[in-house]
Amino acid sequence: MQTQQIFLFFIGIVALAGLVAFFSGRSKAQRVRASGAEMYAQPDQYGWFTAISSAGPALLVGLAAVVAIATADIDIEGMQLLIASLVVAAVGLVIGLALVKPDFHARNAIETLIRYVLIGAAMISIVTTFGILVSIIFEAIRFFQMESFWTFITGTTWDPGNSFQMAAGRGEGVESTANFGAVPLFAGTFMITLIAMLVAIPIGLLAAVYMAEFAPESVRTVAKPVLEVLAGIPTVVYGFFAAITVAPLIVDIFSPLGIEASYNNALAPGLVMGIMIIPFISSLSDDVITSVPDTMRQGSLALGMTHGETIRNVILPAALPGIISASLLAMSRALGETMIVVMAAGMRPNLTANPLEDMTTVTVRIVAALTGDQEFASAETLSAFALGLVLFVVTLLLNMVSVVLIRRFREKYSANNL
Amino acid sequence: MKAFLKSGLAVAVIAASVGAAEAREQLRIVGSSTVYPFSSYVAEELGATSDFPTPVIESTGSGGGMKLFCEGVGDSTPDITNASRRMKTSEFERCEENGVTDITEAMIGFDGIAFAQSVRDGSMDLTREQITLAVAAQVPVDGKLVDNPYTKWSEIDSSLPDRKITVYGPPSTSGTRDAFEELVMEVSTEEMEGYGGEGYTNIRQDGHYIAAGENDNLIIQKLVENTEAFGIFGYSFLEENADKVVGASIDGVQPEADAISSGEYPVSRSLFYYVKNQHKDDVPAQQAYNDLFMSEKMIGELGYLKGIGLIPLPKEERATLREQVAERTKLTLADLQK
Amino acid sequence: MSHSFDDISAQLKGRHRRTKRLKFMSMGALALAATFLVVFIGDMVMRGYPAFQQAELHVPVTYSEQSQEIPLAAVEEDVRDLVSRGWLRQLPRDMAADASLMGQTIDRWVIADDQVDQYLKGHKSHLKPKQTAVLDRMIENGTAELKFNINFFTTGDSKLPEYAGIWSAAMGTILTLLVTLAFAFPVGVLTAVYLEEFAPDNRFTQAIEININNLAAVPSILFGLLGLAIFINFFGMPRSSPLVGGLTLGLMTLPVIIITTRSALRSVPDTIRQAAFGVGCSRWQVVRDHVLPLSLPGILTGSIIGLAQAMGETAPLIIVGMVAFIPDAPTAITQAATVLPAQIFTWAGEPEQAYVERTAAGILVLLSVLILLNAAAVMLRKKFERRW
Repeated sequence: MQTQQIFLFFIGIVALAGLVAFFSGRSKAQRVRASGAEMYAQPDQYGWFTAISSAGPALLVGLAAVVAIATADIDIEGMQLLIASLVVAAVGLVIGLALVKPDFHARNAIETLIRYVLIGAAMISIVTTFGILVSIIFEAIRFFQMESFWTFITGTTWDPGNSFQMAAGRGEGVESTANFGAVPLFAGTFMITLIAMLVAIPIGLLAAVYMAEFAPESVRTVAKPVLEVLAGIPTVVYGFFAAITVAPLIVDIFSPLGIEASYNNALAPGLVMGIMIIPFISSLSDDVITSVPDTMRQGSLALGMTHGETIRNVILPAALPGIISASLLAMSRALGETMIVVMAAGMRPNLTANPLEDMTTVTVRIVAALTGDQEFASAETLSAFALGLVLFVVTLLLNMVSVVLIRRFREKYSANNL
Repeated sequence: MKAFLKSGLAVAVIAASVGAAEAREQLRIVGSSTVYPFSSYVAEELGATSDFPTPVIESTGSGGGMKLFCEGVGDSTPDITNASRRMKTSEFERCEENGVTDITEAMIGFDGIAFAQSVRDGSMDLTREQITLAVAAQVPVDGKLVDNPYTKWSEIDSSLPDRKITVYGPPSTSGTRDAFEELVMEVSTEEMEGYGGEGYTNIRQDGHYIAAGENDNLIIQKLVENTEAFGIFGYSFLEENADKVVGASIDGVQPEADAISSGEYPVSRSLFYYVKNQHKDDVPAQQAYNDLFMSEKMIGELGYLKGIGLIPLPKEERATLREQVAERTKLTLADLQK
Repeated sequence: MSHSFDDISAQLKGRHRRTKRLKFMSMGALALAATFLVVFIGDMVMRGYPAFQQAELHVPVTYSEQSQEIPLAAVEEDVRDLVSRGWLRQLPRDMAADASLMGQTIDRWVIADDQVDQYLKGHKSHLKPKQTAVLDRMIENGTAELKFNINFFTTGDSKLPEYAGIWSAAMGTILTLLVTLAFAFPVGVLTAVYLEEFAPDNRFTQAIEININNLAAVPSILFGLLGLAIFINFFGMPRSSPLVGGLTLGLMTLPVIIITTRSALRSVPDTIRQAAFGVGCSRWQVVRDHVLPLSLPGILTGSIIGLAQAMGETAPLIIVGMVAFIPDAPTAITQAATVLPAQIFTWAGEPEQAYVERTAAGILVLLSVLILLNAAAVMLRKKFERRW
């Protein structure tokens, strides 16, 4: 039998079991009630209860089978699965019906079950975090068994050399000269992030100040969504724009000045990324500025400060934790951004302070290592996971600090809308 | 109950995925980025002119393709892998270990590796030795190996132009890089003094050689932008982009189809694809794809693939190979050790 | 030390000037961001609009036995290199499908080769002088024209630029997003309901909350690593399939849906809950019958925004193999598929001008869909938002 057919049959069995159980449970409850007994719950609720007790275990059987097939390579015949689920559903129905008695709290039973389902759903996000960690960490550990952690963090030469061929058994007789010093990658990532922040923080912050303090309501209602559009543009689109429009423009601008710029210069992806993260900063800063209590504005104006001085000396200092928090969030976004740099930044690990040279980043290396080849035994491929781990830890730390800062701000001004 | 049904749906989605065990009609191909243009051309032709669905092709690099291909037998593994080099014995053994025991090798033609630059400056005459001196990590100076000091071509040989050495080439995971190291660096260093008669294949990392990723198109773009630079890539890309880039003649031979096919051009290699015969019955399109790919219409002297840069095999060899692939002659370890 | 009133009023002027300056600078910042948006969209339109047109040639097509064997024989010799090969190779199938064609010669519009297309659009082309001479004559006769490029919307990826379209990528996007929605919407809403309505305020709950916030900040490419390791390598789901891509994007979208759903739930006033409890509802009944219906517009808005975000994502999909040559549209979630942003990424790597055009055109389509989605979200919020 085809898997799809089995699947349809299975769904059919579960649905049918649920329906049969619902109606038989409800009618039994109605009969009991008609006989004059006081019941704790409504007949419908008894119906739901029997439906769950019948269809639920059958679903679980299916789920268990799927997990068994996928993970333990156990061969389960479709027919066996269908029969098993049918049996379980029948048993569930009998037990469920037997429980339909006047002194049984059907509603509470459902309530408890729902609570477990909800907890289960909430656990998925935790499982996801662990999943990410696990899928990175094992391969990263294998990498650090081959290459020292210290050289990885502090080394200044990134040169996978022929480590790939060695692992694939083709580097016969050639001495491995691989170097996995990630500093040039970190430097490239940092440079591009820095350029992005230099663009985004002033523009984002000033735009937020304008929207929160100066703009008439009409401008504000238009400007906010327009800014948000910037964050909604897919990164692959920004990447195309950076590579095909901005980078050649930069080369053209600098070449008459006698300055040679690479077509993969770090400036183009940095600028474009900066534009992308403007709304991250402006939106949150706007929220923070508006939640600085009005009493502070009034107090400042009453002391004779001008509007500008109030903003500079009172509001911005008060909002500073929130603004820093927004900047950190934007920064972690910039660090992890992939498509823009894959399309517009260079491929060469390059330790330089000149943004007009080509530099490569952590995310570019991850993509290159994992799409170029999948030889999991080679240090070059595994290095992608080590880099992923670094990225994960750094973004996590930035986010943590950001959360703490914004919480402090919130507590200080009891601003609840953040 | 609604929410209950909804989470049921999520479970169902997961359950449906186990449909991996069901027969899939679509041919799955992975492997070399050099063979990719030919392979996708044939695939599209198959989809457009037959009732089979168009095969799916993922460009993963030769080594990556072998890894996926040799992972085992079954629907979740590819049916065919492309390679710009022969299968390594280690890869063959890995295949055997995982139960991929019936493989047919198909050689489809040749590809020359071009050392090219932007059309603006026209062709240039280079020798393999000069190229090696430009890209090696260490070069002999006064009989001793030192870190490559050359930053301009004129420093290598005064007859060469006074241009900065910038070479865009494939990264170390690429089959093109393998071939370049073997056919250019190894061959020339074996004869040069200072390397002690052994092949030397380490490439410099000081910024004069830039690994530009698996995507050969990207290298072309770079050459157009940076007219000073050279690029290393397959002949097919040279032919396809003849309006943008021009190949340097190596050891006095221009990279042209005839010279590559005859072996006169020193930097040429054969292209392959490998068929997993155990999927023969599950994926009928495999046979159709084989037949189409090996047909005169595709790999012949007047075939379509020639138009996009494949260099055909000699006629008799094509006929023998066509027969071998049609009969699905099993590849053995001894074949690879030849 | 004392100042005269004049001094002070002069000083005051300066102070007000500084306020003005701040105002104009901040206005300028906003204007700058808006300008960028305009420049950016203008650039894409300029690059992309030519792709919506495609050159076609009006030529006599001979349906004969010879052209069934060798399709090239169906058109006259001087235009053989000008007609698209993709069109010619379909001839035998057309003839097999419609036997009445045999033996006829029909004048009709056929798709031209991409080089002809570029020539007609006034770009550089590889055409030889002889070919351009033929073409110039045809243009004069009105037998070579730029027509609306319907192929762009009805075909999948192709090695022939004139036949490359976004149809299969669009179908892949739809299937992928369906999986994403089927996974992320229920799980996200249930999680939010748990955190907002059921969870006790303890360490465990706080841990989940912090975790969700962190998850929202994890770089998307790491979700790709997760998808590769868990869904493909561990569960053995088919590579490049909308199933794997959709689940990966689903996990990525989860925090967005949870966070927006929570704020939607929070905006329902407590009095409603108290009233429902007052008439004897259980906690779940309160949520199901009162809180959820009232917060539904907010939840849907958040979900649409999350979905739009997932729709533009590429990085994790590269890792799970959805960037590949896939010309056929997928019909099931287990088949290989590609998505719009991945198609854009693939085309962006092709050097031909025809693909650059198509990349930009694909971007325009993607942006239009995203803008529609976001507009729908805004409308939904406007229409159903309730202030308590």
